[in-house]
Amino acid sequence: MSGFLKSIDISSSGLTAERVRMDVISSNIANANVTRSENGGPYRRQMPVFSLRDNNSKFFSSKNINNSIPEGVSVVGIAEDDSGPRMVYDPSHPDADPEGYVAYPNVNVVREMVDMITCSRAYEANVTAMTSAKNMILRALDIGAKA
Amino acid sequence: MIRDFLFSNPRINYIKHSMDVSMMRHEVISNNIANVNTPNFKKQEVSFEDQLSKAMDAESFRGRKTNPKHITIGAGSVSEVKPKLITIKDQSMRNDGNSVDVDEEMANLSKNTIQYRTLASAMDNELTKISQAITKAGRV
Repeated sequence: MSGFLKSIDISSSGLTAERVRMDVISSNIANANVTRSENGGPYRRQMPVFSLRDNNSKFFSSKNINNSIPEGVSVVGIAEDDSGPRMVYDPSHPDADPEGYVAYPNVNVVREMVDMITCSRAYEANVTAMTSAKNMILRALDIGAKA
Repeated sequence: MIRDFLFSNPRINYIKHSMDVSMMRHEVISNNIANVNTPNFKKQEVSFEDQLSKAMDAESFRGRKTNPKHITIGAGSVSEVKPKLITIKDQSMRNDGNSVDVDEEMANLSKNTIQYRTLASAMDNELTKISQAITKAGRV
């Protein structure tokens, strides 16, 4: 990844990351009341883990340390929230424990909605950065057109 | 003299150098925005204009180099000014240790885009001058 299109690649990595985050948030909201998951027990809240996507050529980085611009963001994985489930008293529920409590997912819908807004705004910021990059490159292609 | 004007015009080289730096700054700002939700990410900035203006001020005040191994006397020449990438570590306004302020980055993005377009127009002007020198010479 190099050259004059690199800034578009950086912004697109941001778009990908925010979209993954949006998918995970949607999944959390959709599963907010799921009491049966693959591993048994209620669904657990998921969260994406972002990391700085660095230059691969670390070996040579001492030579051009001033100019090693990192290359955007990458999603390294999806982690599970280990906090305890939300216990609701409902003895008639088929998944209720002997005391009558049902373990619901540790998803807080309000928190997911707030995350969704920040995610959406971050996505827009990346789109704006990409549009600017496109304008700059197109302007550069116009240099000398009227000369 | 004509050759200098056409092919090693210092203004064209300054503008080209500044446009390259502007593009690099755009990459750095894009990277800051892309990493707005990465924990412990520290924002980066490009420092260039200060050094450039220093080098331009000291233009008449410089040891002449006839060999690349010569020691720089006074400020380096304008074309030798390299952009510096600075990581800003001290300020963090969030719990996750990330120091990106999106508002600031968006403002910088607009500034940088305008700067780039200004430089591109300046480049257009220089090229128009050359073109006129070639085509309009001798005519009234």
